[in-house]
Amino acid sequence: MKLFKSILTVISIFSLSFSAFAVDKSFPNDKVAMWGDFSGITLDVKLIGGAPYDPLYEVMIPIWEEKTGGKVSILSKKSHFELDKEIKQDIAAGNISYCVVSNHTSFATQYGDIYRDLNGIVPGDFLAEFVPLVLEHSTVDGRLVQLPQHSDVSNLWYIKSIYEDEDNKKRFKAEYGYDLAPPETLDQWKEQAIFWSDPPNFYGTQYVGKEEAITGRFYELVIAEGGALFDNEWRPTFNDEAGQRALQWFVDLYNAQAVPAGVLNYLWDETGLGFASGTVALNLDWGGWGAYFNSADSKIGGDVGLVRFPMGSGGKRGGWSGSHTYSILNGCPEENLEAAASLIWILTNHEAQMHEARGGKLPTMTRVWDDIAGEMNAEGNAFMSDLFSTFKASMAEDAFTPPLIPEWIPFSNIIFPELQAAIVGDKTVKEALDAAAKETDYLMQDAGYY
Amino acid sequence: MVRKIFRSPVMLIMPSILAIGFVIIIPLIFSFYTSFTSYKLTRPDSLFNFVGLRNYERLIDNAKFWYAFGRTILFLAVVLNLELLFGLGIALLINKITWGQRTLRTIMMFPMMFSPILVGFQWKYIFNDNIGLLNNFLYLFGYESAIPWLIDKYLAMGSIMVAEIWANTSIFAILLLAGLLGIPRDPVEAARVDGCNSWQVFKNITLPFLMPFIFIALTIRSLDVGRAYDIVHIMTGGGPAMRTELLWTMIARIGYKDANMGFANAMSYVSIILSIAFTYYFFTKLVAARRDLGQQ
Repeated sequence: MKLFKSILTVISIFSLSFSAFAVDKSFPNDKVAMWGDFSGITLDVKLIGGAPYDPLYEVMIPIWEEKTGGKVSILSKKSHFELDKEIKQDIAAGNISYCVVSNHTSFATQYGDIYRDLNGIVPGDFLAEFVPLVLEHSTVDGRLVQLPQHSDVSNLWYIKSIYEDEDNKKRFKAEYGYDLAPPETLDQWKEQAIFWSDPPNFYGTQYVGKEEAITGRFYELVIAEGGALFDNEWRPTFNDEAGQRALQWFVDLYNAQAVPAGVLNYLWDETGLGFASGTVALNLDWGGWGAYFNSADSKIGGDVGLVRFPMGSGGKRGGWSGSHTYSILNGCPEENLEAAASLIWILTNHEAQMHEARGGKLPTMTRVWDDIAGEMNAEGNAFMSDLFSTFKASMAEDAFTPPLIPEWIPFSNIIFPELQAAIVGDKTVKEALDAAAKETDYLMQDAGYY
Repeated sequence: MVRKIFRSPVMLIMPSILAIGFVIIIPLIFSFYTSFTSYKLTRPDSLFNFVGLRNYERLIDNAKFWYAFGRTILFLAVVLNLELLFGLGIALLINKITWGQRTLRTIMMFPMMFSPILVGFQWKYIFNDNIGLLNNFLYLFGYESAIPWLIDKYLAMGSIMVAEIWANTSIFAILLLAGLLGIPRDPVEAARVDGCNSWQVFKNITLPFLMPFIFIALTIRSLDVGRAYDIVHIMTGGGPAMRTELLWTMIARIGYKDANMGFANAMSYVSIILSIAFTYYFFTKLVAARRDLGQQ
């Protein structure tokens, strides 16, 4: 019941917080406008749904319908994992004649050539506004198949007051021999998480523990430890020493009870809600939670700090990143193409990105990064200002996508149960990674990589 | 020959044959064919990439599949037996009630009215290690450790079994209650006059009369439980570390998430053996039970 209430609270907070941000219907800061008269046109769309995504549709789609005369028919709206399954079934059934669909840079490579190349459909002036690297990640086989709405990368949130407490500082120094401060390395993160833990009332940290979520977390720790998932010929290399160190980090935290016992069943909602409930000291998460974490509705509101993803022994930080995007399908009728391009314009333009950034989401347009920072500074909102400067540095210096190959999700489905097996002690770290590497080897061979 | 085909009896059953053909036979043939291909949902052209027995050969060597197969048999055995025991107990108790029986019968059916997805969510949060009702209840009595109900090697499967049993025991109860209501009173009363106690009446009269109903219920539920997916998918997704992976959570992930439908269909056809085996066994028992009662 407590969680149910928390979920309702989050939904209402997200909705309220976003609807509270006003949108200027004249779109004064958009250099490119893609309005048109689309009377009589109904666009069939399938969208990613949920509390973080719906508010943008609720604001922008009515404006688009009012200004263009077109209509948007939402055929389906669900989580991205469910949408992914639906798209695959649509491809199999040949049912891909709708126009606009939500996409993601990590998922897009799986779907073959069902999307239109947006070069030539979306004006070059508009594309020039986006961060070039993000557009590069949105490109598959040389075709720009998606337009990015916002990006995600994670940094480390922490409860400030426990780090400022003098007694904690003394106890920590006596035990670990260095001053207590938010962690700068993976080892410090682990030590501090163990130091803070007092299960079942309080935990040092947590991680998303299943599906692509834990695969991505493992991936960024492998990079931070100086390793790689694959070599240049796409043979698996994640079972080397760097990979083993990365997985050992998860295992050590679990064995020390520094993470909740049920962490292997956690996804993003559980970790976000857990941190906001004030029962977790350190939480790796994206910026989209920022406004909520620091709000009066969170038990740690006003007491939230943020630092960059701590460094691994390889001298690198984690930076698993991707972008939520929109695509236009090949099956979209020619006569609806201009309207479809106009719709994804209004969902990704300057006004839309500013609207989302006010809640903490990371923009994909170069200019929005500066404009949102300026707006937050002018308002004297130090928390949000710090959020954007921290995440901007991460996006510029640390961010990397997962391998943009169709096998990413099947690979994830191979490796995540093995990661879990090592964490719960069914296998040693080496056994688990070797088993995953063997199966991945078959996957890559079957896919024709070697 | 042609005239024979167009004779009126054949024409009359033709709609049924066509309906069964389109709804059952053709999809079965199609999916069976795809199990010999490398068909991927995202590459429709792979439908024609015939790979012979490769999917089945890989399946034989796939330890994870056979673990899931074994786990499904264990799940079936435990769930069916406990549902039978609880269902029989409930049916016997309700059969004794003379006032409010209809109301109780309706209340008893409530769990069946929930969608399995809702049941999964409900039990997932009851068993949640951090904010779940069960652990918080235990804290009230001084228990100081969070029990990982959905993580532990044995508790995770047990938790899913509890949800499955909670949702479906009433099917047994309803079917067995129908059987109890149909038992003739004469042999029971004759036994009592002859001095039989309650246990002897139950063992020698009630239970033999109930056996056909029990085997029908077991057959229906074995097919259901063998296909268990929703509750498991919501509560654990087959994890962690495949500790709760059953056949259909595995097949759904390979078929839809990996889009590897050819291999998933090969798994499905091997999995059907399980359902056929259970159905055959229970039908054999059903025939034997009916024979014992002097029925055909």
